[in-house]
Formats: sequence, structure tokens, C-alpha cells
Amino acid sequence: MARLQLQNVTKRYGDFHAVRDVTLDVPDGEFLVLLGPSGCGKTTTLRIIAGFVEATAGVVLLGGRDVTTLPPWKRNAGLVFQNYALFPHLSVAENVAFGLEMRKVPKPEIAPRVAEALRLVRLGHLGERLPRQLSGGQQQRVALARALVFKPDVLLLDEPLSNLDAKLRQEVRIEIRQLTRELGLTTIMVTHDQEEALTMADRLVVMSDGSVRQLGTQQDLYERPADRFVAGFVGRSTFLEGAVEASGKFRTDGGLDIKCPNGSVGPASLALRPERISLGTGPLQGFDNQLPGVVDFVSYLGANIDVHVRLPSKERVIVQIPNREGGPDLRTGDSVHVGWAASTGALFAGAERGAEALR
Amino acid sequence: MAQTVTATATPPARVEDERGGSLLSAGVLIGPATVIVAMGLLLPICILFRYSLNQFKPRVMMVEAFTLENYVKFFTDPYYTNIFFTTLKVALICTAICLVLGFPLAYVLARTQTRFKNILIMLVVLPLFVGNAVRAAGWMTLFGSKGFLNVTLMDIGIISEPMQIMFTEGAVIAGIIAVNLPYMVLTLQSVIEGIERNIEEAAFSLGAGPFAMFRRVLWPMALPGIIAGTILTFILGMNAYATPVLLGGPKFKMMGPLVFGQFQLNNWPFGAAVSFILMSATLVLTATANILIQRRYRR
Repeated sequence: MARLQLQNVTKRYGDFHAVRDVTLDVPDGEFLVLLGPSGCGKTTTLRIIAGFVEATAGVVLLGGRDVTTLPPWKRNAGLVFQNYALFPHLSVAENVAFGLEMRKVPKPEIAPRVAEALRLVRLGHLGERLPRQLSGGQQQRVALARALVFKPDVLLLDEPLSNLDAKLRQEVRIEIRQLTRELGLTTIMVTHDQEEALTMADRLVVMSDGSVRQLGTQQDLYERPADRFVAGFVGRSTFLEGAVEASGKFRTDGGLDIKCPNGSVGPASLALRPERISLGTGPLQGFDNQLPGVVDFVSYLGANIDVHVRLPSKERVIVQIPNREGGPDLRTGDSVHVGWAASTGALFAGAERGAEALR
Repeated sequence: MAQTVTATATPPARVEDERGGSLLSAGVLIGPATVIVAMGLLLPICILFRYSLNQFKPRVMMVEAFTLENYVKFFTDPYYTNIFFTTLKVALICTAICLVLGFPLAYVLARTQTRFKNILIMLVVLPLFVGNAVRAAGWMTLFGSKGFLNVTLMDIGIISEPMQIMFTEGAVIAGIIAVNLPYMVLTLQSVIEGIERNIEEAAFSLGAGPFAMFRRVLWPMALPGIIAGTILTFILGMNAYATPVLLGGPKFKMMGPLVFGQFQLNNWPFGAAVSFILMSATLVLTATANILIQRRYRR
């Protein structure tokens, strides 16, 4: 358990920047999530921390110790792999004991520590089994116990839940979070699943193209996305392209005038959260922006309904409405009205049209 | 199976039907190979075994009998037991060296990310494209007393007398290794490829250095391949023929040439007995080694 610092860490493969100038300071006991689409450099960053990839430039400090050039076996980092990577020829207990044996922990001490670690992950009774005799969820917990048992300075989780089915995943992420909190473990987790990231993290790092796009709490990322990429990747956003004509006045490419937060004049995108837009079958009142539209597409998600609404300018916004009893029964072609407050939109200057990460 | 509708109505009949069908097609698939193996291997072995119990009389050649005298002759004459132990020694040394040389090579081949991987594998197999006899002939021109190496070294003046490289045990061992190494490498490579790189990384992250990782993870996990490769090279080493004849010369004896020599002398009963001793020894030794290793690492 220790503080982890990355200072200007860069990894280049020829001309390709896998990781660009990443600086992170993770205090002791924090659960930090690296979030981003595949190929964004999050896994490479994790592997640099673990010692499998040597940084081209920059420094990695673990508990104040410079570990930049140390091989993995000399760093005290517990690693949980996506496919668990358990040793198939060793029993569960032998798997968990491996890290202790490598650290030359005296024999009589090993058994109780293994038992304790297995108890923590609620597998105390399965020590004699072989990994292949366990379910995916159980294997995952063995991998966790194996990484925890030697009291690592930092726990590294590489998409640890992506091989579990959806229901189990929700249980396990709460279990992992409680465990790391209980043990006060500094934890770095890599994931591309934003829901997972949002539930588990103390703070999150959104990465893309090898760079850190934004670092902050869930609220920071969701309410105050630093750029268009983050607005699209964390939660969902509908982007309207256009330009800020005067402070607080946005004109879309299609010609709609929309009231928006203050921003500098010039080309920009306006990001709107689907659940922050109101929808009614009749004209709405009390919103800064009130527009008529036509239902283009309805997707029924159970708890919520996504309504794609075509505005008079042919531009489209997605509106998410809760699936309440007595709610409107919308069909493609219905006339509706949408409305939202000026403060709802997030403005991003420039005509940058990055990947819109709609789920 | 033709009437799907009726068949679905009576599932048991259909199941039986399908089982019958798959048995039939399995029979078609393995039939030809089985016939060839039976005709080409089992039958001759049976005949050979019968021959080994016969007597040999000069002039009349083989005489029908039921005697163990051929076996007794082999085991009581130090000339023959020496040949046997030389063969065993050479085979063991070759197998050990093949394993030591082959494992790193197989590991690199299995783990390499280069797109030239197929070419690398081709290079490993390449020696097999050259027949034993051709290779041995090539080595003679290179290492013979009037071969390229000796002539060059003498011309330069480093040595005054030609070195004896050919017709030594060392030459035979080197020759057999050259033939057997590709088998070892290919067997090991396919097994190591089946071990995920992640598992090695897991060991590293848990504090194992490269040696500890090898000993605790890679070696036990690769063991099935190590056993297979070792058995393969050991059998090939025990039964080597062309290499000991061509590189060992007339004075260096191994079991393979001995068998053939007996048949050349028309002593079929003794040749058959030597064949049987060679085959049994190879079988018993590999089986024993296999059982011992499996017991040690049983899971």
C-alpha cells in the first residue's frame, strides 16, 4: 500500500505513441480507474506500472521509490489479468501461495496467510481444487487472492470483470471495491466499461490516443467534461455542430438558434445529455430552449426509453425519458416538443469531430 | 436417418442410428491407416519374433526351432552388450543435448512476434530436407582427414597432423543431434505456444525471476511436450542407422547397423533377436521414464 506516481511517462513504438506524457499522482489507498476505448493506451500504462513495458521516457515512483527500470518481479505490485492467468498445474491454495514462496516467507507462515486470503474472497473451502474445476467468477476471485496475499504496494486490475457475465459482474465489482477499501489498497484498474468505472472509482482518468484527456471524480467527468471526447465517452451526448455567434448564443449548422452557456465566439459543438432534455406531446413551457420535433426512432430500454427526435433543421437529438406508467406511447412520425435549459449544454470550441462514443 | 420426421418422433431409434453412422464413418476414417499399420508393422513383428526363436546353422541358414539361444548369445557376449550400452549412451546424450539446445530455440520460436515466424520454422525443419546419407557425405568432405577443415588448418599451419573428427563417437553424436533436434524443437514449440504468455507474466508479477518462473511454471506446464519430444528423439537415437554407419565408420557399432549386419550375413534368427532386444529396451525405457515423470508431477 503506497502512493503511486507517474511523471511524464511516454511509450513510443517507432513513430507510434502508445502513451504520451502521462502524469498521475495516486495517493495511498485510492482506487483509480483508467478508462478509454481500446487502443487508447490504458493497458500499456498499466503494463508500464507493472514493469512489463519499459517507458521510453518518464519516471514511475512506487511508495517514493523509483521503479522505472526495475523488472516486474522486483516491484511489489499485485496484478489481476483479464483471463486470470492462474497456474493450471497448481491447486488454488498453491496458486495463492506462489507470491509468498517467491518472497521466501517462512513455510509455517504461508498456510495461514493463504487461508486468510482465500477467506477474504470467500473461497476458503476450495483451496484443494484445481483452477479448471472452478467457475469463471471463482477463478477471478482466486486471481484476486493471489494478488492480495503478499500485501502489494499497488493492486493492478486489467479489465478484471470483462470475462464475467453481466449479473456476476455487478456483484463482483462491489466486492472488489469493498475489499480494496477494507485493506486500504492503492488500486489501478483498467476498463473500457464506463458503468464499471463509475461505480468503482474514487477518481477516473479518461484516456484516448495515449494521452490523458481528463482526470477527476465521476461528477467532474460527467458534469464538466474537459473536451468533446470525454463528453461523448463518459455518459452519452448528442452533439450539435455549429458556431457560437455571441456569448450564450449558438447557431447550429442547420440554422437553429439555441441558448447555451457562455463561450468564446467561433465554430463549436454543443453537447446535450439525453436525460437532461425534456419531452412532451404538447408545447413546453419554462425552458430556455423549446423546439418542436418529429419522432424518428424509439428504442425501448426497459427502465428508460430513448427517443430520437428530428428537429426542424433536420438535426437530431436523443432524449431519454423514464418509463413511467401513463407515459406517452410514442411512435415514429409522432409530433413532439423538446426543451432544455441553456446551462444543460456543454460547449466545445473548434470544429473537432472526434469519435462520438454512443453506446 | 432419412426419415427425419419419424426419427424425431422416436428419439431413441434416432440416437442409435446416429451412433451407428458415426461408428461407420470413424471406421472409414481410421480403417486404411489401421490396415497399413497392421500389415506393415504388426505382422512383420510377429514373424520376426518367431524367427528370433529359430536356430542358425551355417550353410542351411535358418532352422525351425524354439530356443532362446540367440538372446542368450547377445547378453553373454560382451561384444554385443557393449554395442547395446554404446547405443544407449549415445541415445541418452543426444536426447539430453537436444532438450537443452531445443528448449530455448522452441521458446523463442513460440514467443516471437515477427512475421518471419514461418520462415524461422522452415529453417528449423530445413535439415530434414537433406537425407541422412547426403548430410553424412557432406560432413565427410568437411571434417574428413583430407576434408576442408583439416586441409585449411594444416595449410595455415595451426596443426601439422589432421585431426580425427570423422569416425568418432563425437561425430556420431553430433550427427544424430543434427537430425533429431528439429523433432524436439517442433514438439516443444507447439506445447509452449499453448501456454499463454500471461501466465509467465503472472509469475513475474508475483515475484518470480526468470529462473523461478521457468522452474515453477514453464517447465511443469511444458512437461507433456518435453516428454513427447524426449521420447521421440530417444527412439530416433536408439534406432539411428545411417549416421553411425557413415560418421562412425566401420569400428563404431550401434544397434541399428548391427541388426542390418546380421541380416546381411543371412543370420536371420540372431538379427531378429537383436531387433527385439532393441525394440523392447526402447519401449521399456521410455515407458519407465514416462511413468516416473508423471508420478513426480502428477496432477
